[in-house]
Amino acid sequence: MVRRVLSLASGRIAVGVLVLVALLALFGPLLAPHNPLGTGDDTLAGVSGTHWLGTDYLGRDVLSRLLSGSRISVLGSLEVAVTALVVGVVPGILSVQLGRVFEWITLRLADTLVALPFLLFAVAVVALLGNGITQAMLVTGVLVSPLFYRVARAATLSVTRSPYVEAAVVSGASTGWIVRRHVWAKVLPPIAVALAQTIGVGFVIVSSLTFLGIGVQPPAPTWGGLLASDLGYLAQRPWAPLTPALLITVTVWACNLLADAIRDVSGEAGRALVNDRRARANRAGGRGPRADRPGNADPVTSGGV
Amino acid sequence: MSTRLTPARPGPAAHHTPRPTGRLRATALGTVLAAVLVPSLSACGDGSGTASGGTATLKWASSYFPAHWDPVVSGSGAQFRELSLVYASLTRTDAKGNAVPDLAKSWDYNSRGDQITFHLRPGLKFSDGTPVDATAVKDAVVRAQKQKNSALFGDLTSIKSVDAEGLDAVVHLTQVDYQIPQLLGERVLQIASPKAAASPAKLDQNPVGAGPFIVTQLVPGTKVVLKKNPDYWDAKNIHIDHVELASAPDASTVVSGLQTGVYNFADIAPSQADAAKKAGLDVFVQPGFNASNISLNINKAPFDNDKVVDAVRHAVNRQEFVDKLTFGYGEATDQPFPKGYVAYDPKSADAYPYDPAKSKKLLAEAGYKSGDIKLDLVIPAEDPQAEIVQSQLAKVGITVTIKIDKNWATPFFAKDLTFSVYGTTGRDSALQTLTAHFGPNGPLNLSSPYEPSGFEAAVAKVRETPLDSPDYTQVLQAATRAGLKSRALVFTYSSPNLFAKSKSVSGLPKNPAHIDWTGVTVSGSD
Repeated sequence: MVRRVLSLASGRIAVGVLVLVALLALFGPLLAPHNPLGTGDDTLAGVSGTHWLGTDYLGRDVLSRLLSGSRISVLGSLEVAVTALVVGVVPGILSVQLGRVFEWITLRLADTLVALPFLLFAVAVVALLGNGITQAMLVTGVLVSPLFYRVARAATLSVTRSPYVEAAVVSGASTGWIVRRHVWAKVLPPIAVALAQTIGVGFVIVSSLTFLGIGVQPPAPTWGGLLASDLGYLAQRPWAPLTPALLITVTVWACNLLADAIRDVSGEAGRALVNDRRARANRAGGRGPRADRPGNADPVTSGGV
Repeated sequence: MSTRLTPARPGPAAHHTPRPTGRLRATALGTVLAAVLVPSLSACGDGSGTASGGTATLKWASSYFPAHWDPVVSGSGAQFRELSLVYASLTRTDAKGNAVPDLAKSWDYNSRGDQITFHLRPGLKFSDGTPVDATAVKDAVVRAQKQKNSALFGDLTSIKSVDAEGLDAVVHLTQVDYQIPQLLGERVLQIASPKAAASPAKLDQNPVGAGPFIVTQLVPGTKVVLKKNPDYWDAKNIHIDHVELASAPDASTVVSGLQTGVYNFADIAPSQADAAKKAGLDVFVQPGFNASNISLNINKAPFDNDKVVDAVRHAVNRQEFVDKLTFGYGEATDQPFPKGYVAYDPKSADAYPYDPAKSKKLLAEAGYKSGDIKLDLVIPAEDPQAEIVQSQLAKVGITVTIKIDKNWATPFFAKDLTFSVYGTTGRDSALQTLTAHFGPNGPLNLSSPYEPSGFEAAVAKVRETPLDSPDYTQVLQAATRAGLKSRALVFTYSSPNLFAKSKSVSGLPKNPAHIDWTGVTVSGSD
């Protein structure tokens, strides 16, 4: 699947951007030219050789703060996605396999979670449990999990009703064996799509929460926090919000692009794509014929944010 | 920034989503936006047209829009400025901060100084027709003392009871206290119609007073529309016909709003002052008593050690607060009063100058090595002030972790915190400012029941000194001096009461900490 994703131009771009963001998260704090918390007398300075992106309201180097802030944003969004994955997928698959009572309960639970506005809920939980990105993201992950629940359940349903699974049941195969042997492989691709997309959603949530000053204790830098503080000083540095906003946008865009690329090459859609002669021509010959494939012409637009 | 829980195309099944739907959505969205925006934009046009039509309308955006309109519940914080559009009080303050007549035309003390009689102006009515008399005054005091959700009862401890005798309100005091006329001004005793106040919950949404304006529409938390009160005792000096008071949007939008005429008066953040000036607005600082402080709890380690407290005192570089937070509009202060004010004590000025070397030495003497002291600085919301405190203390080897606690008020006022920051907008009675900060039960004294030695006696002396006595200034400053010995507070800077107004609004009276509309005109030219 990785090879197939990378065979698409959009997939390569998405992976490239996300690898770059991952590197920022890993090595950003080490690359920071200044102490991201070190205040100075030169406040709200413009771009200069010493401060490539200027300084903030307390005279701290903005580039260093952006670099150091990437780790929290990346970890936070991963936390949302992984929590949602873990909480959503297993009940999603089991809801089809474990009988009506379990199905009914999990469906109602999923409906309840969908009904809760997760940003507000995260704010409430932070107020209750104390200000921390971990608890905020865990809760958000749980609230986003119905997406995985639904996707996993839909995929499982389609597999369960297929003749070969019925044949397996007739042959006396256990539920666990069926899930492991038949369901899991079919469920994985749509979950991979949902995961990539949820990481993007996670980024927006982390950025929104930190923008509101929720989840991190100052003076710890975050992309959303930098964006928020820059907005208060538009008169002095009108261009300042561009950098964090661009970083957030590009990362979320890359996640959505990756989600689209995975979708394009996997499952039923992937098979259709592979069998599609025009698609083959497209991969071999560049962009020309793509325009007449409405479904795949603009994968960017499928973003959930 | 909106987020969606479900993806537009969650899985394989969704990849057939046809493009035309997207186009249709875009068209629909466009139509909706046009439908919403066009009338609202033309409404903006209408609004400015009305403003130039002859009636003087004040369009005020406030960043501290009152949550409550019952003055007893709203308390003596900065919101009293908005509530004073509706409510008048017994006294008000002049440009020097001295009490002058408002609803009371005069007052006199008995010979012992433990009883004061306010003589009300005759023939006044609240906007619901109820007469303004001593009964209304008594009702206001009783409500402030007894109402369950009163935010004022702590301010009125000197008042034993009130006798209503027609237009004379006789106030019996628990002690000799010559501060009462200063106290019973707009901050502490705005007087509501007793008829309306019979249901405090109703009053909170439908304020009825005898002030310069009458509320015609109130949208809680958002907007209040008022018209001039023709029966206000000083109506001849009120030249504004209508007031539209709105809750301010974010800092930078306020300036745009002022520029486009959506507002013509607003408080602004110091960071916006330049932008406001460039936009051709009048930017001015209204005098006031704002003072920010670092609150220490000396009942808890490490502040139970005097040397650590002194180390913090010497570690504070006040000028950095002024430069970075007030853009030069504020000033450094080591007292809760501005320089030149009667209670400001020149003898206490700069008692603990910025001296990080001395601070480190004091910490070493106290037995602490660099990094030994680790403190949580608990604050209610993100505040650059806290970040400055953190960086300044880091320079002397004290590690500070900032903790944001949305429920900060509970542990702060219960004196459970060790370390915090606070800012006051002051009080009209200097003595009240002193007792609030330094008194054993002062709400801003994080170290209750501690009070600096000699403070109690100094405060008693102030209470017993008539305000027109030649000794008053000296006695008051002595009390300030005694209070400033408190180890519980380190004053840092005074943030400015910064406002921007359109040139069509004339200058405001310079009453410290007040926003007084007497004599102000709105030309309606913009």
